[in-house]
Amino acid sequence: MKLKLKIKGKEYEIEISESKEGEVKINVGGKEFVFGKDEEKEKVLIAKPTFPKRDFSKKEIKAPITGVISEIFVKEGYYVKKNQKLLLLSAMKMENEIVSDFEGRVEKILIKKDQKVKGGETLIVLR
Amino acid sequence: MKLIKYGKVFSTQLLAKKIKNPRTWLVLLAKEQVAGYGRKGAVWFSPKGGLYFSIILPKSKIEDLQTLTILAAFVVAKMVKENFNLEPLIKLPNDIFISGKKIAGILTENVVGKDVKLSVIGIGLNTNIEKFPKDLENIATSLKIELGKRVNNEKILKEIIKGLKEQLKTISE
Repeated sequence: MKLKLKIKGKEYEIEISESKEGEVKINVGGKEFVFGKDEEKEKVLIAKPTFPKRDFSKKEIKAPITGVISEIFVKEGYYVKKNQKLLLLSAMKMENEIVSDFEGRVEKILIKKDQKVKGGETLIVLR
Repeated sequence: MKLIKYGKVFSTQLLAKKIKNPRTWLVLLAKEQVAGYGRKGAVWFSPKGGLYFSIILPKSKIEDLQTLTILAAFVVAKMVKENFNLEPLIKLPNDIFISGKKIAGILTENVVGKDVKLSVIGIGLNTNIEKFPKDLENIATSLKIELGKRVNNEKILKEIIKGLKEQLKTISE
């Protein structure tokens, strides 16, 4: 299994594999660490992580109420901050400013201006 | 009720939305608005003499706020009918007409994340406006025009807020 991790702007290529002997090999940027079932062949000093826990799951912005999208303030690719105004939803003559509950990049905008949406419908996906 | 009085402002709604952690039932009252607005940014003519205010509502369920907007129209219409013996007509959910001309408008704006972060209801009531510009004179009226005399804006304001509080209590229970 190969994966890429970006930590504080630096990208790490990580490969995890298992040998026939049941050893787990973890390759980080060309450096290999092999772990047995109960022993470590190379001790790795791991500093206590100081960066906050990050949520890599999808962050969805949903319609709180059935209505019509009257304005969209962001575009795909935009980076948004928490509490930033994303769109305007008109419902029963109430204007609802939908703000982001998360910080992240706008991955997908699933609605268009003047589109009717139902309460609970996903409008924007952030990542 | 805490009341903040302003002279000329852009819009009491805009002011209300800018206040950080505003207290519930805070009322922002302006003598005049240069950028008063209704739904979809429609201009609300707001010269001196009229009653323009925004109220920070308690954090409620969005469904309750929807109901409150409609009930606000009833509160304003009831006040007009009972105090001035006029026959207001409510165009649901949020406009009030007298003799086929608009006399009041109500706009509720919510800021919503996972839950409702802020709710502001804005009411514009044409009270002591003596004359409307040509493009509005056939579609707008005021209490002054209808009654031929001035009315007390602060007394009207207090009565509307009292009515709103009562209505919100009813629907939130």
